[in-house]
Amino acid sequence: MKPPVFDYYDPLTLEEAWDLLDRYGGEAKVLAGGQSLMPLLNMRLARPAALVDLNRIPGLGSVQVEDGVLRIGAMARQHDVEVDPRVRESLPLLVEALRLVGHVQIRTRGTIGGSLAHADPAAELPAVLACLEGEVVATSRRGTRTIPARDLFVTYLTTSLEPTEILTDVRFPLPPPGTGWAFHELARRHGDYALAGVAATVRFADDGSIADLRLAFTGCGPVPVRALDVERGVRGARPSEDLWEDIGHRAASALEPDSDLHASGAYRKRVAAVLASRALRAASSRAAAPPAAADEGRGGP
Amino acid sequence: MSTRERRIRITVNGQPREIEVETRKTLADALREDLGLTGTHLGCEHGVCGACTVLLDGRPARSCLLLAVQADGHEVQTVESLGTPEDLHPIQRAFTEHHALQCGFCTPGILMSTLWFLRETPRPSREEIREMLSGHLCRCTGYLQILDAIEAASRSLAESGT
Amino acid sequence: MNPDGGIGAAVPRREDPRLLAGRGQYGSDLRLPRMLSAAFVRSPHPHARIKAVRARGIRAYTAVDLRDVGSIAPRWDGDGFRPTAQRPLAEGVVRYVGEPVAVVLGSSRYEAEDLADRVEVEYEPLPPVPDLATALRPEGPRLHPDNILYRAAFAHGDVDSAVRAAPILLPVTIRSSRCTAAPLEGRAVTAWHDGRALCVWTGTQVPSLIRTALARCLGLPHHAVRVLVPDTGGGFGQKMHLYPEEVVLSWLAVRLGVPVQWVEDRRESLVASTQAREEEVEVLLAARRDGTLLGLRARIVADVGAYHVFPTTAALEPLGAAQILPGPYRVDHYAYEVLAVATTKAPTGAYRGVGMTVGVLAMERAMDMLAERCGLDPVDVRRRNLVPESAFPYRQASGLLYDAGACQEALDAVCRVADYAGLRAAQRSARSAGRRLGLGVACYVEYTGLGSATFRRRGMTEIPGHEAASVRVDPDGTVRVALSFPSQGQGHETTMAQLVADVLRLPLDRIAVEPVDTQSGPHGSGTFASRSSVAGAGAVLAAASRIRDRAAAIAGALLEASPQDIEWATSRLFVRGAPSRSVAFQDVAEAAYRLPPGGAIAPGLEAVEYFDPPPATFSSAAHLAVVEVDSETGAVRVLAYYVAEDCGRLINPLIVRGQLLGGIAQGIGEALLEHVVYDERAQPVTTTFMDYLLPLATDMPPDVREVHVGRPSDRPGGFRGMGEGGAIAAPAAIANAVADALGVQVTRLPLRPEDVLHLLDPGA
Repeated sequence: MKPPVFDYYDPLTLEEAWDLLDRYGGEAKVLAGGQSLMPLLNMRLARPAALVDLNRIPGLGSVQVEDGVLRIGAMARQHDVEVDPRVRESLPLLVEALRLVGHVQIRTRGTIGGSLAHADPAAELPAVLACLEGEVVATSRRGTRTIPARDLFVTYLTTSLEPTEILTDVRFPLPPPGTGWAFHELARRHGDYALAGVAATVRFADDGSIADLRLAFTGCGPVPVRALDVERGVRGARPSEDLWEDIGHRAASALEPDSDLHASGAYRKRVAAVLASRALRAASSRAAAPPAAADEGRGGP
Repeated sequence: MSTRERRIRITVNGQPREIEVETRKTLADALREDLGLTGTHLGCEHGVCGACTVLLDGRPARSCLLLAVQADGHEVQTVESLGTPEDLHPIQRAFTEHHALQCGFCTPGILMSTLWFLRETPRPSREEIREMLSGHLCRCTGYLQILDAIEAASRSLAESGT
Repeated sequence: MNPDGGIGAAVPRREDPRLLAGRGQYGSDLRLPRMLSAAFVRSPHPHARIKAVRARGIRAYTAVDLRDVGSIAPRWDGDGFRPTAQRPLAEGVVRYVGEPVAVVLGSSRYEAEDLADRVEVEYEPLPPVPDLATALRPEGPRLHPDNILYRAAFAHGDVDSAVRAAPILLPVTIRSSRCTAAPLEGRAVTAWHDGRALCVWTGTQVPSLIRTALARCLGLPHHAVRVLVPDTGGGFGQKMHLYPEEVVLSWLAVRLGVPVQWVEDRRESLVASTQAREEEVEVLLAARRDGTLLGLRARIVADVGAYHVFPTTAALEPLGAAQILPGPYRVDHYAYEVLAVATTKAPTGAYRGVGMTVGVLAMERAMDMLAERCGLDPVDVRRRNLVPESAFPYRQASGLLYDAGACQEALDAVCRVADYAGLRAAQRSARSAGRRLGLGVACYVEYTGLGSATFRRRGMTEIPGHEAASVRVDPDGTVRVALSFPSQGQGHETTMAQLVADVLRLPLDRIAVEPVDTQSGPHGSGTFASRSSVAGAGAVLAAASRIRDRAAAIAGALLEASPQDIEWATSRLFVRGAPSRSVAFQDVAEAAYRLPPGGAIAPGLEAVEYFDPPPATFSSAAHLAVVEVDSETGAVRVLAYYVAEDCGRLINPLIVRGQLLGGIAQGIGEALLEHVVYDERAQPVTTTFMDYLLPLATDMPPDVREVHVGRPSDRPGGFRGMGEGGAIAAPAAIANAVADALGVQVTRLPLRPEDVLHLLDPGA
């Protein structure tokens, strides 16, 4: 299992990278962390004419919190983000999801942008982006555009990025203070892609009712799925064990997951309901208690 | 610079080495074939088994998922840097004391991961070790003796102040 | 016993330092001048006629080039066997996806794959045979005129009467899924001709048999074929077969006069290396109301892939299962029927626990079901049926003679160490808190160290049955040991040295166990079926004992004493009662090669011994698994695992534990994760490690508590074979534990979370 021949480039600037992608007109592939692309090359399932390696372009891996947004450069290594104190403090949901991405030996090379651009239907980061309604920044010679999560993921392993575009930044809007969060998934083994997974956030109003609740599923279809109807319908409701069960069930009932050798679509749907309930339970215990229930533990986004 | 072949310089186990490779050649194959360092093994060539793990600029990387040209100008550390049969590194000593290897094929990758891990987490819990080790496949040992060895290594490194 | 490194010492292994330092020499580590790399062009079809091979300017070798090379066609001496012959490169017809059709050579594997990409093969697809149903259909596609490659039937006692008389009849059908050994190192073969002999450097478990087979295929005398075994990254039975690639590489080396190397990649390993298990076992238990067995009937049908494998044949797996099925239980009436059925899948070969894993799975599930039917605890129903200690040696209804079987003791011991009653109580209180814990027991006996009588009786004519060892003392008093049985991780470099150290009272570092090489080492059967500590050790002990006697004679001559009066201390020999009259072993050795005057000493100090063990030596054990099942997702976690094992005397407790843990990991894999999947068109689906899931550190229980019971065997050294136990019993123990947790019937493995949920809630 050795890669086929290709033309290899490791440009030092983004502009050079744009030009290379333009020159090869879709026959070139971008090499970021390599954790998804290299296996395909080794197995000769991908035979690009050229590889454009982004790893020597400086400045693409920064992490900043600014104006309520966590901005991460696309080439930031997953492990670096996972252990970054600013990320742990501002967006622990992302940290919890990252811990489930493969194994640490993958995350030392794998990148945030790479995972999103690869768009595996059972990956964790796309669900987090969808949950938080984040966006990515794509650049080329023709300029810069911002793509929100709902427009980014098109189908299996396919985003709306043009083959000549490079994803350079990822933006995660931080949930308002007091929002509880959780990422739950079921995998065959630790670190495997999810059979089903869900990113959940919940925030309570002063009167203790639900002010905002979000569920983004992974492994349940070609792209991450938000349970928008259920989310809207549940605003103003009072939290309870029964409610979490009910929400999980209703959110999952709208899913149409695929079957593969690891699990059938029916099973994934069923487990999605269970995971959603469990995630909401965990998220609500992390949410800031409304002033009415003064003794509750403090949460944070 | 050619797009199909490059002359590259990698610092391997502290030594600057210069080789000429096809750009499609993986770092694993360059280490094994061009540099004669066959201690790094290939178990799957798709990034799952971890047998090929080396340290790239001090951090673990699957060398089957890296092109050799990507290591140009960087530092690579392989199992050959840890110790010799006559003078084993404390981690290696802990492995033999606890029978943490049988066929030995997966072992070099685990040693390199462990080297990095114990620097990052000098006093790991058994659960933390188990989680780190889940990034490596071993078909022979059933893992428990490896956990024992890494626990013991963390203690001996802590004692010696390493 | 030499406390420093003799039998029983938990010494660190001699091979560890070089393996840890990255200085192992594995199959793909060998680099020779002018060496070419091979890549195979393999069939993408499960069944097809080969119409044409177009290589377009590339030299691709095909069946035409190898027309004078013999086939892989293992012989079997007995009824019911339909032979097959696999051409080293497929000739005319391909019968499984991955079957080698052509081979190309390049200066590197990269180049060889580029060349292989350019070879076009034209196929005319034929109907696939993806499963047993298709294979057994009267008008279905035929692979080898008949798709039934082996059939056997056996009866002892009167099962029909037992069935008629039995108040309880329990039919059970167990399906075990296809697995593969998946050693971390794939196969690797390097072949060259050194001017005198074909040399084959291959990670094989059976070097003597490979030499014999290659000599036969290539029409060479045995002395012109040399098999060298490098460090081998795991075997587990998969590397005990002769593969087409070995034949092809050997032919190329002879034909081209340059070294050639082929390194299997993981996709080839998962698709084209031998696979395992995949049997359907129908058992009928006839029992009394008190849960004691009256009789047993079994029908075992195995899906054995496209060809017989050399040397064990397709008969091995189902026949082994049938012969072990009654296990450690008192069964007076037993009848079985066995079928090995060909399909268009990779051939089935040996894999740790071969035959026994499936036999134990079926019987132990049946015993739990019997317990439930009779309202008994699973441990009680076993106690009532286990052959008592006093009855050994015991001739089981299968015809096997058990020299020992410590299952009563093992079952008691495992219940004690696990606190069985406490676990049951914990299970009850967990249940009331909504948690589903399960306890699963598996008892087994295991045939190990098989001798020639067993292979002959079975009809397995290609396996000799003996092992051999040479022990050679060099003039400086160090010792070299050459074995007929290589290691793939079992530590022979240490354990066999420990035996010699024990007999000759030498420190371990004075003893070197050499890599196995058919040119310099003696002929034997190889390493498989837990035979090294019985068959191998028997040969090593015999050779070392001859050295001991010769050394005593030399010492006697040097000390002017009778050899009968010579005693041994560490590195010294002395006269009984007069310890100051002594000579260093080193000096005894030197005297053997630099003869002192007087003519009392004959030159040389070496011995070669061959050992044919008794037909079988039985080990036994009881395993107990504790699992927790998430009843909402079906996920299963192994919380705890206990083992009480009788493997006789231990050579090295660290190594014994390692073998046990490794086997348990594979058993957990087989129970919960591993499944070689072919689709309905016989296309392999599990072609990467993302699809075929091996257990990780996070899949193991936190600990495995292990106790040893039983007594030494009466074989040399008192050893019994071990190594397969974890793989034999863990699937059954976990299947039983899941069934116990949920109150459902488990009849097939692996148990994916979805399968568990389906058992709980079939309607959903």
